[in-house]
Amino acid sequence: MAEVHIIGEIVGASCFPENSLFCKWGIHAGGAWKLLAGCKEGQSQVDIPVDEEFCAWSHPIDIHFATKGLQGWPKFHFQVYHQDSYGRNELYGYGFCYVPTAPGTHDVECVTWRPTGQFREQISHNFVGGGPQLRNPDLVYTSSDRDLLHTVGMGKIHLQLGIILRNFDKFGVEC
Amino acid sequence: MQGNISTFNMASNPSVFLLMVTGQIETGDFPSISDDLYVKFNYVYGQDWVTTAGLEEGTSQTSKKSQDDRSLYAWNFPLDVTFKSTNPFGWPQLVINIHGQDVFGTAVVRGYGAVHLPISPGRHVRHMPMFVPESSSHFQKFTSWAMSRRPEFRDHNTVARSEGREVTRVKSQGSVRVTFNVVSRDMKKLGYDVVPSTLSIPSAATASAMASNPTTGAGAAAVPTANVFAMKTS
Repeated sequence: MAEVHIIGEIVGASCFPENSLFCKWGIHAGGAWKLLAGCKEGQSQVDIPVDEEFCAWSHPIDIHFATKGLQGWPKFHFQVYHQDSYGRNELYGYGFCYVPTAPGTHDVECVTWRPTGQFREQISHNFVGGGPQLRNPDLVYTSSDRDLLHTVGMGKIHLQLGIILRNFDKFGVEC
Repeated sequence: MQGNISTFNMASNPSVFLLMVTGQIETGDFPSISDDLYVKFNYVYGQDWVTTAGLEEGTSQTSKKSQDDRSLYAWNFPLDVTFKSTNPFGWPQLVINIHGQDVFGTAVVRGYGAVHLPISPGRHVRHMPMFVPESSSHFQKFTSWAMSRRPEFRDHNTVARSEGREVTRVKSQGSVRVTFNVVSRDMKKLGYDVVPSTLSIPSAATASAMASNPTTGAGAAAVPTANVFAMKTS
C-alpha cells in the first residue's frame, strides 16, 4: 500500500469582515483510504488579534494515510465561525481544498463563502446578524447540488502543508 | 553522539532516516509590546523520534527593540539539531515562548507559538504567529486584572497539540521569523518522497536506457532530455 503523510499547520485566516474567529476542520478521503495515525478532524482556538489583520490559529496537522488507490484523494473542509464577546458563534464561511498531490512543502490558500439565502434572510442578516447554514455540510466538498445555492465570498484560510509520499513510484504513480 | 551524519557510513539497508536541521530564530515583530524580550525554545515530537545530536532546548539573550523604524527584536539565535526516526508521523515541531516583564517587573509570557520543522530539504523561512491565552470568563478577567497576573498555559507544549484547542481563546500579538536549513538522509531508501524530483518516472527507465545506448545520429538532440530523466531516477 502507498502512504501519504500530511504534516503542517492551519496557519490562520485573513480578509474576514471581523476577527475573533475559529474554525472547525475535517479531512475527507475516499473509501480506499485508511487513516493510520493522527486526528482527521478538529477545532482551532479562537483568536482575537491585536493588530486586527491576521487571525492566527497555528493549528498543527499531522496525518498518516495508507491507500490502495488514487480515487478520493483527501481534501480538507472548513467551517469558519465568528465568536462575539458573549460567546455566541456565527457562521462566517465554508471552504474546502484538496491536499496537494506533489510531495514537498506547499502554501495553500482556501477561499470561503457563506450562503446568503433569500432576500428576507439577507435583510434580517443585515439587521440582527445570523444567517442560513447548510443543512448538509457535505455540500462543501461535493460538486453536485450546488446549483440552487446563492452565496457570498468571505475571507481566506491559509495553510502550510508538507506532503510526504511513500511507495507511490513502486506502483507506477506519477505525482 | 557527534554522529551518524558526519561519518557518512554507507548503510545499505537503513532502518532509520535522519533529519538534520540548522537555522536561527532571527527576529521578532511585536508592535504592541515595548519591554525587553527573550526567547525559549524546545522541540515536541512523536514516540518514534529521537534526537541524536544538538540542543533540544535553549534560552536566548534578552533583547530590546531595534531603534530604527522596523522596531524589531533581533535575537539571531542559532538552532542546530539532528533527529532520527522510522516514521514521519510525529514530525518534530519547534515550540517558542517569548518572555518579558510587565510594568511592575513581574515576568510574563508575551507569546506562545509552534511550527512543524520543514519536511523537505533546502532553506525555509517561517513566520510564526505569537499569541497568549485570554481569560475564559469575565470573573477571571477581573481577578487577573486585580492581581495583575496574566493567564498562562500550564504546559507550554499545549500549542503543539491539535486536541483540546476548542476551549482556548487567545490574543495574537506579533510574530517571530525563523529560518531553517533542512538536510535529510535515507528518506528515499525507506521509500519516502519529500520532493517531486525523487519520484522516479516510470517511463524514465526507458529514457535512460535510450540515453546509454545512442544508436543513431538523431539521438544527439534527444540525449540531453534523456539525461535529465536519468538523473531524476538515480
